[in-house]
Amino acid sequence: MLYDLSLHMGYTYDVPASGARHVIRLLPLSLPDRQRLIAGSITVGPNADERTTFIDFFGQQATSVLLRAPHEKLDIRMQARVLVEASSMTADLSPQLDTLGQELADFWSVDAASPHHLTGASPRLMEEPLIAAYAREIARPGQTVLEIALAVCARIHKDFTYDAKATNVDTTPKEAFRLKRGVCQDFTHIMIVALRSLGIPAGYVSGFLRTIPPPGKERLEGADAMHAWVRVWCGEAMGYVELDPTNDIPAGSDHIVVGYGRDYSDVAPVIGVLKGYGNQKAVQAVDVIPLKS
Amino acid sequence: MSKAPATERKAKEGIARDPLLGYAALPGVADEMLDANGQIRPVWRNLISHLGRMTESELRERFARADRYLRDAGVFYRTYGAQGSGERNWPISHVPVLIDGREWETVCKGLIQRADLLEALIADIYGDNKLVQEGFLPPALIAGNSEFLRPLVGVKPVGGHYLHFCSFEIGRGPDGNWWVLADRTQAPSGAGFALENRVATTRSFSDIYAESHVHRLASFFGAFRDALQSHKQYPDDRIAVLSPGPANETYFEHAYIARYLGFMLLEGEDLTVVNDRVMVRTVAGLKPVGVLWRRLDAAYADPLELNQHSHIGTPGMVQALRAGALTFVNALGSGILETRALLAFAPTVCRRLIGEDLIMPSIATWWCGQRSEREHVAKNIERMVIGPAYSRLPFFDDNGQSVLGSSLRTTAKDTIGDWLATEGAKLVGQEVVTLSTTPAYVNGKLTPRPMSLRVFAARTEHGWQIMPGGFARIGAGDDVAAIAMQSGGAAADVWIVSDKPVARPTLLPPEESFTRNMPGSLPSRAADNLYWLGRYIERAEGALRILRAWHQRYAESADPNAPLLADVTRYLKGIDIEMVKAVPAPLLRNIDSAIYSASNIRDRFSPDGWLALTDLAKTARRFHDTVHAGDDASHAMTILLRKLAGFAGLVHENMYRFTGWRFLSIGRHLERGMHMTRLLGHMSGPDAPDGSLDMLLEIGDSVMTHRRRYNVATARLTVADLLALDPLNPRSILFQLNEIRTEVEQLPNAFVNGQMSPFYREAMRLHSGLAVMTPEAMSEETYRKLEQEMEKLSDILGQTYFS
Repeated sequence: MLYDLSLHMGYTYDVPASGARHVIRLLPLSLPDRQRLIAGSITVGPNADERTTFIDFFGQQATSVLLRAPHEKLDIRMQARVLVEASSMTADLSPQLDTLGQELADFWSVDAASPHHLTGASPRLMEEPLIAAYAREIARPGQTVLEIALAVCARIHKDFTYDAKATNVDTTPKEAFRLKRGVCQDFTHIMIVALRSLGIPAGYVSGFLRTIPPPGKERLEGADAMHAWVRVWCGEAMGYVELDPTNDIPAGSDHIVVGYGRDYSDVAPVIGVLKGYGNQKAVQAVDVIPLKS
Repeated sequence: MSKAPATERKAKEGIARDPLLGYAALPGVADEMLDANGQIRPVWRNLISHLGRMTESELRERFARADRYLRDAGVFYRTYGAQGSGERNWPISHVPVLIDGREWETVCKGLIQRADLLEALIADIYGDNKLVQEGFLPPALIAGNSEFLRPLVGVKPVGGHYLHFCSFEIGRGPDGNWWVLADRTQAPSGAGFALENRVATTRSFSDIYAESHVHRLASFFGAFRDALQSHKQYPDDRIAVLSPGPANETYFEHAYIARYLGFMLLEGEDLTVVNDRVMVRTVAGLKPVGVLWRRLDAAYADPLELNQHSHIGTPGMVQALRAGALTFVNALGSGILETRALLAFAPTVCRRLIGEDLIMPSIATWWCGQRSEREHVAKNIERMVIGPAYSRLPFFDDNGQSVLGSSLRTTAKDTIGDWLATEGAKLVGQEVVTLSTTPAYVNGKLTPRPMSLRVFAARTEHGWQIMPGGFARIGAGDDVAAIAMQSGGAAADVWIVSDKPVARPTLLPPEESFTRNMPGSLPSRAADNLYWLGRYIERAEGALRILRAWHQRYAESADPNAPLLADVTRYLKGIDIEMVKAVPAPLLRNIDSAIYSASNIRDRFSPDGWLALTDLAKTARRFHDTVHAGDDASHAMTILLRKLAGFAGLVHENMYRFTGWRFLSIGRHLERGMHMTRLLGHMSGPDAPDGSLDMLLEIGDSVMTHRRRYNVATARLTVADLLALDPLNPRSILFQLNEIRTEVEQLPNAFVNGQMSPFYREAMRLHSGLAVMTPEAMSEETYRKLEQEMEKLSDILGQTYFS
């Protein structure tokens, strides 16, 4: 599937910001046998006084900009053409949960692809006893890691209500879990905390969903903004599997990957420290248009 | 111990007192002063024979000298408790620890090897990760470590080295050998305290110190300073100490080290990154910084790429590191080396990385994430202390996070295997160490107390150098855990004693010149604080003068509703001073604000100035609680004014006349000018109550001058002439504007491209505007406008120099 992506993030400040530095992570990744970035660009208005790009630890391209002069508005735009290859879930090669720990201990690497980054706590995700209890109740003895991950994904989809008003970007998984409401970021965080509590390495995927569904299919939740889903390590033989708890489906050719991380903080699309005070308002618009299948 | 030898010596040397002052080593524990046979070690003999000859009162007098030195120098560290944080005087244990120079050489060899090992280890962790791939290090210890800073992976430090300054906590076991208890690589503290400890201890024992061959500390710092100089990539690069700020536990030391080595003391907000170079905001614009001696935990250094919640970092710092523009001492990410569980892997990693066995072993440590290690810990639980694997603090210093295996209840011991199996990856077991003891002077007796040494290593142009000394941490009781200063431990000086005379470099000042801060490199934040210090001090003085005049009159009339007193009460209310108490709370807040400004620039302050200021605050607080209106209060104000004058005098007499001084001075003059303007506007109008003009003269300290100059009764015109327009009266408005103008001329950027800066122009305009006025023209309206213009001048100053 070939897509044309466009995204606009606009910020308006009460008080002009100056000397603002931002790190922007918006360009889709190129992944062998999965997706290819054919062309892509990021533009910033007003024009940046300094601009550099670098590849971060998890392999994502980041753009660092500095806007020196006072400005009341910031516009960030991304345009990209991406080819996504339809992938289908392979057979379940994942081990049972009780042997996953040993497979993990025998995985002698801490490079970007290592599942060791996706265990325990991460900057946004602490251990949560309530979520751990929830996970323990879902997992059945004798299940494979993939079966458990699919079950947790399905349960979150069933138990939680999609509600963009209930939470915001800083809501903790604990709070969203209590509310039983939220958006893709909340469901993704809760599922990660749940899986990690069982000893299953799990991480955060940020990306896009196609906006208009194929004929005869329902429109997916989360298509009007950036999307997020979960990456689960299913043992050495199977590697990573990506599951979307917001829609209770595996990530497929409708999902376009922008970045991988431990949680939202690793892949936040715009990180910025503003030298100014007062509130800021933000708007986000996303279009993911399939060109041909 | 056997008593016989001591008695023999006593007889031989004719000493009246017991030379050991009752000292006896504990059974089964190594002692620094006594060897296994209870004999005094040779290096201690001189000191102990002196101590034995001293009377108790002489000893007390000597120790008091050290205490006085530390108090006067303002040496403190911050403690944290239930009541919030507070400053605590540096807890010195007066008897130094003496170590034989030959033994010290082997300690140095061990620690230099260890510093090399840590450098190789950190280079592997942030580089190729061979140790993990080859199975030497468990990946979880790296990937699950909050000090593994992923943005720094692959970022090679300029000059090739990650580590430049480390410290080691070492202790001596019962067999007499030294063990490493902890490695400090994040932002090792204590080197400055070690220096102050040395100075204080030599105050007590100057005579003994002079005749003992004790290695001096100064050359160690000199060599490190030179090494930092050599890291500059550009000649105009500054070197600075980067501090998290005055709220930090060891801020005193940050300021002390910066002052001692002649580096700038900066905080994250002083810095900005421009085109990949780190710059400091100064009153003369942005200036490049090439080397940062970091006392800030790495994760807080850059809110963009590290901890996004940091308010004390500099956005873009990591970007500058990627561009190779800056040397950090130590590199961001070095904190991971402090991880307690890594101690378990030091022996094998040492063989793999540098092909040697560890010269000085680490305290025996087992990471419970591995089965056989876990089983070993469970089996030997009685001899273990169990603590968090990722902790970066030694077990005796981690606020009770570690538990002694022997303290667990029997039922808990039965399930220890299960606990370790489920939580093992997060736990380490460490063998309980019995540290050696050293004499501490407690209640008139020498008493054995457990101790560990903190030793410092600096990378110089000739490799690692170990500070010949350091400080010993002395436990408050027999308990090893009580060594932590937060729980009452103390620190003693460490004398490395040679059998030959030692080289004697001077401590202060260094002989050769080095980074003398160039004109204009005053950081904007420091200038801002100096300016406000000046303003707050003067504001306090202004209020004190009014309050004194008020209480003097009240003492005579006892009627607060008399027209003059009521009018002045109204005036005070207008400047937010409610007369609820004789010494009102807002006055205290004013002095506190001055102290706050001063605390941000401790490196620029003489200890005397600081003492004077805190003494003023203490006295004011006491008066606030005890003083009554009237004569009592007027007397109290006089005392406070005298203390304030003491501070001002210290500053005036001792502060180097440089850019910083000018900002302080401008602050004082501007505040004094505004104060007098407002007061004249209020009290010299035609409707002012009787006695207003006389009171004005008194507040303006100009009664005598007025009598001499005018030879008439006080009148509106003569008062305006003397207090507003007289260029020779140090209390007049014109005098302040004149002084400001003179200072402004000397500021950086007073002229931009040959033209006066907006601030200079405004100061000139205000001054000449007032200089041509006549007393007749000084109306309430004139004063009001003048005051507004002075406020505006303050704003322009801020925009020009502080932003």
